[in-house]
Amino acid sequence: MSMTQTSSATAPGTKCWSCGKIADGHFCAACGKIQPLPRGTSYFAFFALPEKLQIDPEALEQQFHKLSWKLHPDNFMRADEFERNLSLERSSELNDAYRALRDPLTRVEYLLAHKGMRKEGAAKQQAPPELLEEVFELNESLDELREARAAGEDLAALRASLESAEQDFQEKLAGVDAELDQVRTEWDAAIEANATESDLSKVMARMNEILNRRSYIRNLVVSVAKELADA
Amino acid sequence: MAYSEKVIEHYNNPRNVGSLDKKDPNVGTGLVGAPECGDVMKLQMKVNPATRVIEEAKFKTFGCGSAIASSSLATEWVKGKTVEEALAIKNTDIVRELALPPVKIHCSVLAEDAIKAALSDWKTKQGEEVNAAETKSAAH
Ligand code: FES
Repeated sequence: MSMTQTSSATAPGTKCWSCGKIADGHFCAACGKIQPLPRGTSYFAFFALPEKLQIDPEALEQQFHKLSWKLHPDNFMRADEFERNLSLERSSELNDAYRALRDPLTRVEYLLAHKGMRKEGAAKQQAPPELLEEVFELNESLDELREARAAGEDLAALRASLESAEQDFQEKLAGVDAELDQVRTEWDAAIEANATESDLSKVMARMNEILNRRSYIRNLVVSVAKELADA
Repeated sequence: MAYSEKVIEHYNNPRNVGSLDKKDPNVGTGLVGAPECGDVMKLQMKVNPATRVIEEAKFKTFGCGSAIASSSLATEWVKGKTVEEALAIKNTDIVRELALPPVKIHCSVLAEDAIKAALSDWKTKQGEEVNAAETKSAAH
């Protein structure tokens, strides 16, 4: 399926299993029967959306409600088993698709996973050594604070340094999120401009790298927040 | 998440926590991270250049219980082994020993990656050539 077109929920030119006419949506336009879901259908295609990262959340939600109503198994109680199963399958897929696309961050993760850029494990790249060093050091200073607290050192001073650490990590996180926003815009522009696969891959590699960095920093934010809650 | 007894045991009594002198030419340092969860692990080994036997191993891990247990186990296993024997340790060996569930496999991968990274650092320091396959990420 071409990445640049508005994709539909079935491969173009797929024939309806029931009437044989061309059917390229969740339902056959000619006879109205529910259609099977081709393997590897992207969640974007599920909502008949182009593979862009900026999605209007309200339109998505509306589309979700509309589809979940149309695909709902209750509508197929009197249909045969084949159609009943299709409705079940599609309904559960719909929920997964909505969950993945609703949140801007999981949307990026989904896009990269769908394109084979972010496989759990296999395609993982090591983070740059400087980043790991930095994260490790920040973790170590957090550890020192923890130990100081356990040793009963001055709590007020400790709290102050935790708070400044938190602010520091929050700023870093905001920085990464700004980078992510930037690259989202770039991606959408590239899709719009029918960019080549290799240009698209470059943008995805950047997104991947930013997501990796983000997960380390987010981890630090969570750890320091936990410390602060205990302090 | 229910951890296995072995994981809990290592978690409560981690072996060989600490660090070695990074600048010592006989010490190899491996610092690796798992982008899936943002956890980081540092593993260091002191290797006798004459015998190629790993004499000391230390780790420090900021991560989940499984990652701590995996690195603790890794330091135990590499001690007394030669560089080549240590490089043969697979993350699947760790998974088996600690009875890690599938969602925790990446934690053991981190430990295997750390061993490999530390030893390739040592080799570089010794002026040895590092085999490209050794620095690659572990099998998942
Ligand atoms: S959860 Fe990430 S190392 Fe264990």
